[in-house]
Amino acid sequence: MSFSPWRRIGWRNLWRNPSRTLITALGLAVGYFAVVVIVSWTDGLTAEMIENSTGLLMGQIQVHSREYRPDRSIYDTIGGRDGTNVEQLVGKLVNDPDIKAGAARVYASGLVSSGESTVAATFMGVDHAAESAVSRILNGLEDGVLPTVNANELLVGTGMMKKLGITVGDEVVVVASAADGSLGNDLFHVVGVYRTGLTDLDGSYAILPLESLQTLVALESGRIHEIGLAATMTTDPWLAPEVAARLAETLRPFGLNIVVEPWTLLQPQMASYVQLVESWHFIIIGVVFTVAIFGVANTMLIATFERRREFAVMLALGTVPSRVLFAVLWEALILGVFSLLVGLVITLPLIFWFQSNPLDLSLFFDDFTMFGALMRPTFRIQFNGTIAVWAGLALLLTVLVAAIYPAGRASRIPPADTLSGL
Amino acid sequence: MMSRIVRVVVVVGLLGSHSVFAEDTPSDIIDRVDRILRGQSSHGVVSMEVVTEHWERNFVMELWSLGTEYSLVRITAPAKEVGTSTLKVEDNIWNYLPKVDRTIKIPASMMMGSWMGSHFTNDDLVKESRLIENYEIEISFDGVRDGTEVWELRLTPKPEAPVVWASIEFQVRKSDRMPQWGRYYDENDAIVRVLTYSEFRSFDGRLVPTVMDMSPRNKPGERTTIRYQELEFDIDVNEAFFSLQRLKRAVR
Repeated sequence: MSFSPWRRIGWRNLWRNPSRTLITALGLAVGYFAVVVIVSWTDGLTAEMIENSTGLLMGQIQVHSREYRPDRSIYDTIGGRDGTNVEQLVGKLVNDPDIKAGAARVYASGLVSSGESTVAATFMGVDHAAESAVSRILNGLEDGVLPTVNANELLVGTGMMKKLGITVGDEVVVVASAADGSLGNDLFHVVGVYRTGLTDLDGSYAILPLESLQTLVALESGRIHEIGLAATMTTDPWLAPEVAARLAETLRPFGLNIVVEPWTLLQPQMASYVQLVESWHFIIIGVVFTVAIFGVANTMLIATFERRREFAVMLALGTVPSRVLFAVLWEALILGVFSLLVGLVITLPLIFWFQSNPLDLSLFFDDFTMFGALMRPTFRIQFNGTIAVWAGLALLLTVLVAAIYPAGRASRIPPADTLSGL
Repeated sequence: MMSRIVRVVVVVGLLGSHSVFAEDTPSDIIDRVDRILRGQSSHGVVSMEVVTEHWERNFVMELWSLGTEYSLVRITAPAKEVGTSTLKVEDNIWNYLPKVDRTIKIPASMMMGSWMGSHFTNDDLVKESRLIENYEIEISFDGVRDGTEVWELRLTPKPEAPVVWASIEFQVRKSDRMPQWGRYYDENDAIVRVLTYSEFRSFDGRLVPTVMDMSPRNKPGERTTIRYQELEFDIDVNEAFFSLQRLKRAVR
């Protein structure tokens, strides 16, 4: 194979000045490391955001009456009107292999009052057992216990508790506009308090057993507003739209007036934010390696200039200029592959270490919220294999592009002038 | 002595001119609309019919008012709501709920919420009485509509006024200063709801519109109609009458 000597020449030339080669390789490897870590970190952030947003209360997929969103009228229920049996419907939905659990919910709006203080509230009626499998809000109450059915008991968030100036065990007046036009009102005991960290949830939601809320707002049992669905642990959140479409297809034969919506539709701004972040990944790759191009080009330029007499001898002996060009490009490519190996060696162990042991930054930062999702201040890393491959290709492309100019110059060295000592 | 004679002559002259009303500035016209059903103080019985897409309800209520800052409303029918009462003192509203025997104060954030499921808001109870304080008022039309001489007045909020409407328009009949309708606009200058006054009758010697009909534009077919059945003016009440204790107690 006529190419092999040139490849060997390239390899040997790299080690003529080992420290220079190592420094260049390290520069490229660190660039690779930076790209993969930054991307994996932003992926970690968005994964955290999606998980928290869907896992806390929303669920990855929700089922509503077609008219329910965005007005959320108390009358636009599933069940009741159209004779849908909610239990059977939930059963059908949970039958899907990608769906882990489903929970029916009822909503109403009104007031919670204690003494002189009154706050506007969104009442959420849930079935504890089912809800715990879909969302985390009922797991780990700050204080107290879950409300029991038909005992006039409810949960509030820490924010509402503070606004009302009450504690667990206190009595509150609950008022809600009922479906029959009357003013549903009753006394409830606050038996527990939750803290999600989200101002909205903690300050204005009150959670009570589904049956209690149906009674309060004069909704027949069997009429609900929402079914929250949780996907199985292994399901990528980005598959939710696909799963939702499949569920809708499954339900089509029953001719129900309902829609199945994935979180990407329920939280469109979050979905588009994540897509925007993903497009930045390529910008990061572009910026890092464009900077690297100049560094590598400089090294190659010096390396070829030092060897100008060798190139002159080759050319004088009848080597075709293109061969010289390819020799230098080979050299660059070998440098690239070597740098990539160094990069992988320093990147992968660190990434996988941090992925399984997220760094806790809560000493430095408080919890914060993004698009209504609570974020823990951890250095959470989610390895992005696609970007790791793209960054590797970008690295190789970088060295080749950087070598074009030095290689071109090397192939056009005037042999006579150079050898005569100019 | 002389000056008193002059004053009498002037007043008589004005009476005799073209109207029994001496005041004609835009804000006087609106102020009259504001106070038309109140007088210095008032006591009345009204029925309220609420029609929505999903249900219809009929209420009977007894109400008391003093000036523009004090009012008390008590529901006397239907049975399910008997005793439910609302007290308004200045900017505050309390509701008394007989079923749980508790009084709750309506928070500022709920002022746009519906009052008793009707198309009137809590804010209507509080702010309606402050039209001349919160709005710049100008006559936008002065002439004949459908054979009746009317004024149309445009109310735009004063800077910083704590109001929810981008503007309000009232039509007032010139002959007797009776309001015909009020239109409430949002910031896109679209009509949100229309309040129509009708069936002008004399109660206790005053001419008043005895029927008021509120219809939201975004829900065709829905309406709340308030109909005065009894109304007396300048009754014997004072500020102390409008108390939280009174809110809880059956009056009379």
